[in-house]
Amino acid sequence: MWLFLGLLLHQPQHLSVYAAASLSDAFNEIADSLERRDPELKVDFNFAGSQVLELQLGQGAAADVFASADERWMQIARDSGFIEGTPQTFARNQLVVIVPRGNPARIGKLQDLARSGVKLVLAADAVPAGRYAREAIFRLAWSAGYPPDFSRRVLANVVSYEENVRSVASKVQLGEADAGFVYVSDVTPAVARQVRRFDLPDTANVIATYPIAVVRHATNSAAARAFIDFVLSPSGQAVLSKNRFLPGR
Amino acid sequence: MKPLVVRVALSAAVATLLCILALPMISLLVRLSPGELLHQLAQPVVLTALGLSLETSVATTMLVILLGLPVAYLLATKEFKGKRVLQTLVEIPIVLPPTVAGVGLLLAFGRAGLAGGALKALGIELPFTTLAVVVAQLFVATPFFISAATAGLAGIERRYTEAAATLGATPGYGFFRVLLPLALPSVLAGAAMSWARALGEFGATITFAGNLPGRTQTMPLAVYTALQDDLAAAVALSVLLVILSFTILLGLRFAPWGAAVGGALARPRRR
Repeated sequence: MWLFLGLLLHQPQHLSVYAAASLSDAFNEIADSLERRDPELKVDFNFAGSQVLELQLGQGAAADVFASADERWMQIARDSGFIEGTPQTFARNQLVVIVPRGNPARIGKLQDLARSGVKLVLAADAVPAGRYAREAIFRLAWSAGYPPDFSRRVLANVVSYEENVRSVASKVQLGEADAGFVYVSDVTPAVARQVRRFDLPDTANVIATYPIAVVRHATNSAAARAFIDFVLSPSGQAVLSKNRFLPGR
Repeated sequence: MKPLVVRVALSAAVATLLCILALPMISLLVRLSPGELLHQLAQPVVLTALGLSLETSVATTMLVILLGLPVAYLLATKEFKGKRVLQTLVEIPIVLPPTVAGVGLLLAFGRAGLAGGALKALGIELPFTTLAVVVAQLFVATPFFISAATAGLAGIERRYTEAAATLGATPGYGFFRVLLPLALPSVLAGAAMSWARALGEFGATITFAGNLPGRTQTMPLAVYTALQDDLAAAVALSVLLVILSFTILLGLRFAPWGAAVGGALARPRRR
């Protein structure tokens, strides 16, 4: 009884972090180290497509930190007055193409993505990864060695627009899609075992930048700032780099 | 005359529940002006999703009846070993999170799934096709039909079919000309419930069939996709879904055969 009451009164300090789906592994690891340092702290995550998070902020979600996978949704959140202070870029990311290990569509090079019958999965247009993928496809179409109608043919091969980039990875991982555009960071060791990866040429690749900020009216803005400081610190950056992100600066 | 406190408690319960159930629908309905609503509904993406939703849900309902009726007949009229297990199995999709259903469908009927090889031999690749949408809807909608149809068939007294048999009717004749017409109200009610459920299917569809306008993007998926950058279009689609579902369920109640429908769907009967 007293123990129960004690547990009830002694609640840990909750920090609510809304973060892009692509950050889930890295941020979980960061939260683990933070919680080890401060046993009073409990980090709660809401991972989703950045566009969904922005929408939830708009509906008055009780978030303390917002980490977006592109500048666009952070800017929209800022313009709507959901953000406190200036967002800081803490990581960057790049796109790769993954195919199932068995490679059912026999993709040997990126040009093969335009072959008719290839089942390509992208993130939806509103998802940063989806927008970046489209941009990369258009850039490839302009590159030497690609047919002029490359982008039209590739986009005609899309069989699904997923709601976040991790769903793209899992459709390929399960072997249901022939190919998908995901971030380098999404190719986790578990995914890597089940897929083959094709890097995009530097000229066609898009660098995704990840901004992070404290949410206005955060219930726990001190902890929010501490979280962001840790993400930007050498130890936080080391975790991100271990999870295949490029440094923010 | 009930004591005041009971009446107050009853009205409070009714009012609270009505608020929780009705307020969201009303909020959707009043959010857009009629003009804006019509403008949104005329968008190609909305019309495409509406067409696909109607096509797939009607196909699903027909399949549900075709495949579900024999099962309902079996459950209603026969005693056999494992009947309860079968009954439970048929009911599971009601309580299963649809996303779980979607993952299960992928692992079973995806091309890398358990039955993927067999399907491929038949030239069928399900994921990302309209057929996959129907399969996902079938999975979640069937239980509603089976429970209503089973209850209906079981409620018909044996003596009618027995009398028909004595008069020389074959079992087939007995089923289609005697049992089924008597149980028709429940069968139709079950079909309508399944139809409404298929129309609202989201989680299993997006997981198993993917999300592509014109091929697998039904109305609920279009709502979710639109919600991310076009709230007005999402609300318009939602209004359409609310009206459609409401009409189906209301029609069920006012249909000439609605009176005989058993269970939760029953219209109050006057004695």
